[in-house]
Amino acid sequence: MTARVFGVVLFVCMCLLATAAGAHPMDTQNAAFVQGVDGPAPAPFMYLGAKHMVTGYDHLLFLVGVIFFLYRLKDVVLYVSLFTLGHSVTLLVGVLWGVEVNAYVIDAIIGLSVCYKAFENMGGFNRIFGWRPDAKVAVLVFGLFHGLGLATKLQEFTVTTNGLVANILSFNVGVEIGQVLALTAVLIGITFWRTRPSFTRHAFMTNSVLMIGGFILTAQQLFGYVFYP
Amino acid sequence: MTKIVDSDQVERVSIKKLILAAFAAVLIAVLVFVGAVLPAEYGVDPLGTGEALGLLALAQVVAITAEDGEYRTDTFELRLAPSEWVEYTYRLQEGEAMVYTWFATSSVEYNFHSAPDGAPPGYAESFDSAASETANGSYVAPFTGIHGWYWENPGTEELIITLSTAGFYRDAHVARDRADGYRDLMDARGNLISEGSR
Repeated sequence: MTARVFGVVLFVCMCLLATAAGAHPMDTQNAAFVQGVDGPAPAPFMYLGAKHMVTGYDHLLFLVGVIFFLYRLKDVVLYVSLFTLGHSVTLLVGVLWGVEVNAYVIDAIIGLSVCYKAFENMGGFNRIFGWRPDAKVAVLVFGLFHGLGLATKLQEFTVTTNGLVANILSFNVGVEIGQVLALTAVLIGITFWRTRPSFTRHAFMTNSVLMIGGFILTAQQLFGYVFYP
Repeated sequence: MTKIVDSDQVERVSIKKLILAAFAAVLIAVLVFVGAVLPAEYGVDPLGTGEALGLLALAQVVAITAEDGEYRTDTFELRLAPSEWVEYTYRLQEGEAMVYTWFATSSVEYNFHSAPDGAPPGYAESFDSAASETANGSYVAPFTGIHGWYWENPGTEELIITLSTAGFYRDAHVARDRADGYRDLMDARGNLISEGSR
């Protein structure tokens, strides 16, 4: 195993260990703020949305998987737009209609979405089943689940109906800003790496590590679902 | 960009290798989860790895903060004439705590604020400001300095505020426009500590 692969494995494992807590640190101070809000507060909600995305490792791992083999900017924009469309719809509808799904179940599905994407990147579906799910549809569907997760998280804090729509929209805009920031960083890294021969050599290994990350997230959420309902 | 690759061209992976990788991923995930995540996040340590690596400490909830300061209690009645104000503050070191409750005979304007040592005169950070007949809470000083209430009677009749607190404060200071001074406090045995110890 070369030093670089070892570095990647170590980095991903450290990230996971550091944040496995639930992948979404919305610390008590932020929670107290959200609960105290009465009326529209665009900037704070945008900040919380962006923070959620940049520090939410399950979203980030999924996006790494999605753009791993996308090298045309057009494709990156297309896939990310589908993902954004998916999670925006369920975030808005979810909060407005008061849809609350068990957060553990949603986060377990999000963990599995990482596994799915990694397995697809490894060529797993083609080689084993001779068929692969339409990647665009899959990204859209998992986008819907990610949004449901966001909606559930946002509702865990009693958000007042006063200024609710403005605050969800602000949160959503923040999520997109955070996503663009995180994606840019990931894209720069992968694009740079792709110009080197090691990319091809270690793509399989990297996606295997991504899959490990997805399974750890899934296991943690399922454990929480069973023992801490 | 040199060579473009996608998932079909990465490597012509054998099915055996794929299945092996998938099983290895599940196995490693389970090992990391049971060996590290479970002890660190849930305090569950089936393999003893949490103990060995010191990860169990991460799952411990810090519920008690030991205090070095002396325990003090204070109960106080304040009379406020119409439009009169009073400022009542305690000296707390950073991280020291107190619990408080107060109620008034009618609605009073209040402001809980704190001023760090060495701050310019008149500087204060406000934490709670409203009009009410009562308020309860606990407070942990975010910095060393004075911490307490400003009350003002907005009505046309005299009102009485009854304040009870317990905590690790050093002294209590009353300031009104006619007089100001330090108050005696009660220690843990119920003895009066007459200091005004600055």
